[in-house]
Amino acid sequence: MFEIRDLRFAYKKNAPVLNGVNMSLKDGEIGVLLGRNGAGKSTLFKCVLGIQKAGSGEMLFDGENIAKLSRIERAKLISYVPQEISFGDLTVFDSVLTGRLSHFGLVAGKADREVVARTLEQLELAHIEGKNVNELSGGERQKVAIARALAAEPKMLVFDEPTGNLDIQNEQLILTLAKKIASEKNITILIAIHNIGFAMEFGDKFFMMKNGEIKHTGGVEIINEQTIDDVFGVKAKIFDVEGHKGIVFGG
Amino acid sequence: MKNTELSTIQDIKRARTRKTVIICALFVLTVFMVFVCLFVGSSKMSIEECFKALAGKSTNANNRIMLYIRLPRVIAAIVAGAGLAVAGLIMQTNLGNVMASPSTLGVSNAAVFGANLSIIGFAGGFLTMGKNMADAVNTFNPFAVSAVAFVFSVASTLLVLALCRLRNFSPNTIVLAGIAIGAIWTAGTTILQFFATDVGLSAAVIWSFGDLGRATFTQDYIMIGVVGASLVTFFCLSWRYNAMLGGDNVAKTVGVNVSALRVASLLIASLITSVCVSFLGIIGFVGIICPHIVKKLLGHNHVVSIPMTALVGSLLLLIADTLSRSIAGGTALPVGAITSLLGAPFFLVMLFSKKERA
Repeated sequence: MFEIRDLRFAYKKNAPVLNGVNMSLKDGEIGVLLGRNGAGKSTLFKCVLGIQKAGSGEMLFDGENIAKLSRIERAKLISYVPQEISFGDLTVFDSVLTGRLSHFGLVAGKADREVVARTLEQLELAHIEGKNVNELSGGERQKVAIARALAAEPKMLVFDEPTGNLDIQNEQLILTLAKKIASEKNITILIAIHNIGFAMEFGDKFFMMKNGEIKHTGGVEIINEQTIDDVFGVKAKIFDVEGHKGIVFGG
Repeated sequence: MKNTELSTIQDIKRARTRKTVIICALFVLTVFMVFVCLFVGSSKMSIEECFKALAGKSTNANNRIMLYIRLPRVIAAIVAGAGLAVAGLIMQTNLGNVMASPSTLGVSNAAVFGANLSIIGFAGGFLTMGKNMADAVNTFNPFAVSAVAFVFSVASTLLVLALCRLRNFSPNTIVLAGIAIGAIWTAGTTILQFFATDVGLSAAVIWSFGDLGRATFTQDYIMIGVVGASLVTFFCLSWRYNAMLGGDNVAKTVGVNVSALRVASLLIASLITSVCVSFLGIIGFVGIICPHIVKKLLGHNHVVSIPMTALVGSLLLLIADTLSRSIAGGTALPVGAITSLLGAPFFLVMLFSKKERA
């Protein structure tokens, strides 16, 4: 169980970016964070990942305060898939192995290499393990980034708009893959997605964020004309086709 | 297995074979160049004489030339080449900047200022104030010049890093602060040289030429100690550097203390540069060319690129030194000029042939 209680953060005094964020996710649940640019999503992720030190509040995983974990313990618990992906001139295998650094420290052992090989197999990347990551397509690179995050065998994954630079086909591929990971490995996922239509198909729980606060929390039913207007300031219409929800924008 | 997957696997196998061949070729070439560098010189010894002199069984003159002039020079080329090249690689990784080199933090500029201060201000000693260069004939102490150069280059590094602490060691701030501090040292050098006597000025300018001929066994041992320990440290941190290639945020989330690693790495890389520049003068471009050659041929994985960049650095300096002693008919040209002459065109080719990646 992952919980955030009254989390606050400010880069400058009297200009809070996170203004008392509360949320909770059960093991294996997918939490989708929705909000406009500047709502505080990336800052929230940075606090959860330990990139920024939170001002006040608590972040708990199975009751343990993750802010008090060492850098290595935290890295083993929570992994990160960023929007802007870079690997340097590394092969797929080596790129994924860097995700396992918190387990091996200086030199990767046989067990670490086996975990990486298994992860590549699961994500159908094994046949390109020796290829330079820079020679791959955007979708493949995103899969390698997910494999890098999974190599740490974390209990939670944080995705910061992972499909922002992808076409629709790859966006669907990546989100389907993330959903499969959550259910098969019982990994909790916290993800920010711009595409509300995909988000509704994909998430278990939704957090609609505005001005550093979670304004609306709940299942897919909380995404409606009023909440979208409140959080995004746009008119939208939600429709339902054979159990699948969709959205159209405009008056 | 699908045909496309099969062809990808075959491509990967071919690439691995290619890399193995390149690594073996570089090893063989470096060993070959060690002997070429030892055997080429103005005394025109035959190869047989060279081998005998190496074993100390030739004439006294030949033995001395081989063991006290050529051998320390070759060792200096191997060690300084490896050190400067790896310092460049580490700077580039830590600053996320392909243009970064051992002189990025103004280390070389500070060393030149220190040496100029010692030669012009202190008449080639430590604090022999009030003397002019006419006295330097008696007081010139190469170790003093190197020591003052070293002190200033280390101080410059610490100053840049202390300033960058205010900005949380952001790579761009470090590069810009290095350029600014470097400019201050250069200005100081210009002012010193403006007030120097003709003799002092020429001594200071000659000092700044990179020259492996200054190397003695004592200096070689110091360089071996510093460069050896630094390379082992860098190699042990290889996977942390690999993680940094994914960006600071990714590196932090896999457990790397990015700020601490960056500061420690830049400090060690600057130390290598300080020691080499203080003993040998400015040897430019090794720290830029060699990492780029290795990254292009063998990829960026630091487990491979650190030792191979060291090897290519040694190879380049051995080639440059051999050329410097062979193209001017008995006069050894400054090796720093040769590395820059080789490096600048290479850099331009790289600049204009760079393929944009998707």
